[in-house]
Amino acid sequence: MRVRVELHPALKQWIEERFARYPSERSLVVPALLEAQKYYSYVSPEVEIGLAELLGMPPQEVHSVASFYSMLHQHPVGRHIIQVCHNVSCYLRGAEDVIAHLEEVLGIKVGETTEDGRFTLVTVECLAACGQAPVMMVDEKLVEQVTPERAEAALAEFD
Amino acid sequence: MLQETKVVTELAGTEGLRRLEVYEAHGGYGALRKALTGMKPQEVIDEVKRSGLRGKGGAGFPAGLKWSFVPRDHPGPKYLAANADEGEPGTFKDRWIVEENPHLLIEGSIIASYAAGIDHAYVYTRGEFFTARRVLLGAIKEAYARGYLGENILGSGYALEMTVHSGAGSYECGEETALLTSLEGGRGHPKLKPPFPATHGAWGRPTVINNVETLATVPSIINRGADWYRSFGTEKSPGVKMVSISGHVEKPGNYEIPLGTPVRMILDDLGGGVWKGRELKAFAPGGSSTPLLLPGNLDTPYDYESIAEAGSMLGSGGIIVFDETTDMVRVAEILTRFYAWESCGKCTPCREGTRWMLQIYERILNGGGRMEDLDLLLDICEGIDSKSFCPFGDAALGIVRSTIQHFRAEYENYIRKHKVYKRKFMPVRHH
Repeated sequence: MRVRVELHPALKQWIEERFARYPSERSLVVPALLEAQKYYSYVSPEVEIGLAELLGMPPQEVHSVASFYSMLHQHPVGRHIIQVCHNVSCYLRGAEDVIAHLEEVLGIKVGETTEDGRFTLVTVECLAACGQAPVMMVDEKLVEQVTPERAEAALAEFD
Repeated sequence: MLQETKVVTELAGTEGLRRLEVYEAHGGYGALRKALTGMKPQEVIDEVKRSGLRGKGGAGFPAGLKWSFVPRDHPGPKYLAANADEGEPGTFKDRWIVEENPHLLIEGSIIASYAAGIDHAYVYTRGEFFTARRVLLGAIKEAYARGYLGENILGSGYALEMTVHSGAGSYECGEETALLTSLEGGRGHPKLKPPFPATHGAWGRPTVINNVETLATVPSIINRGADWYRSFGTEKSPGVKMVSISGHVEKPGNYEIPLGTPVRMILDDLGGGVWKGRELKAFAPGGSSTPLLLPGNLDTPYDYESIAEAGSMLGSGGIIVFDETTDMVRVAEILTRFYAWESCGKCTPCREGTRWMLQIYERILNGGGRMEDLDLLLDICEGIDSKSFCPFGDAALGIVRSTIQHFRAEYENYIRKHKVYKRKFMPVRHH
């Protein structure tokens, strides 16, 4: 059975406004999935079905694309995503201590979400900011030259 | 004392540079005017060819030559994909260019598009580059309003559209054909070449893919000429290159140098030398995919040919420095995990091989390594080498082979003593 899904009108508008920029509507699937996460906490099967309808793609193909990209969440996540770089240049300048400290203060392990749903903690590959290593991102905000203390302090503005 | 040679970075630090009027006040869009009102597309290609400008994303392919492969009389739309999907660990120049001087990228992209007869330019940015995307969108809007984009640009009759396209987290999409697959709305899988993107690219149409730094170099070449650009660098590697220095140095950051500058001068004079007064153990000369070089290679000139002769690659220009205290087995494990997790899964040797190598690294770091694991790793490298559609598989091999070659004793120390790497956290793949 196919369920009918109404996408959030603002999301729908965001996508439709961009159709004219591409020779095919499905070209928008990756940016549209990323945009969708502003309205839904993760890419659920319902979101995939709604996008499939709008973009003229089979839902299973939207799912295939969605499951490929690391920023597209396949499961519910917290209100804010903390991404700490665990790649080489950040490792060389103390990223492990930052990650360990965040695990401790949040009371969760990498890959988990705090009980109050405030934060999901993940590691991320190189964020192209190695000159300011170690770095992390909270949602869309890049935090540079982080120490365990600075990482903890950076969380305060996200509730 | 080595000074920087600033071409792409010339205006860096200028107050308000992201704004069109500030960029224009410093001569911005002068090259565009010169090209579109005074030069034929073929003349632009010839000038850039003569300059010897080589692609700065990793492969080093001559940019002008690439543009000339686009069929001129081909009916229907042609595309440019500006590659801002910078993800090579140790490389951070392209994001910096976009955020610092977005109009430079836009101007270079318009000139390149004019030269190759492009109708629509897409700037493919990494999903994680929220700020860069915001900055670029604002700058493109200004460029449209000023008549640098859209119909009849500067009265030349030439028309170009420009669109910012976002990825969503994938290293593989920085590979040019995978970038196109992603742009078309698919998983980031590479395509077999030939046919090459110049004739069969995005949506099956002729497409040019250029790195951000390459495009950002074009306005200077048009302004000052090929001979001026060739006055820097070496015969075979003319011009300048941005280097991103990271890791164990006093002053990590982006710098711009003439190609052919000895590595020692780059690291000491610009990077401030190895940090904390320590000794150098090794360095990756061009991003995480390039085989490590040793202190004995410090006098190697930093150009494509000399770095290749030393046994590595200039790559993207990301120099990662490791001091004497670095655990090279752990470094190799971190990068092998990166390649295993980011392999797109299309080609079996890369998909399976990188995972096997990661399993071996995990057992070595957990104290359960076997002496024969070293030969096994090298054997798997052999099984991956040159057997995938795109260069990704090969990229995973440099760190494994070069650490086994140069730091075998560190591996043996783990294995003989059943040494365990004390993990401060357990890496988990997120989706």
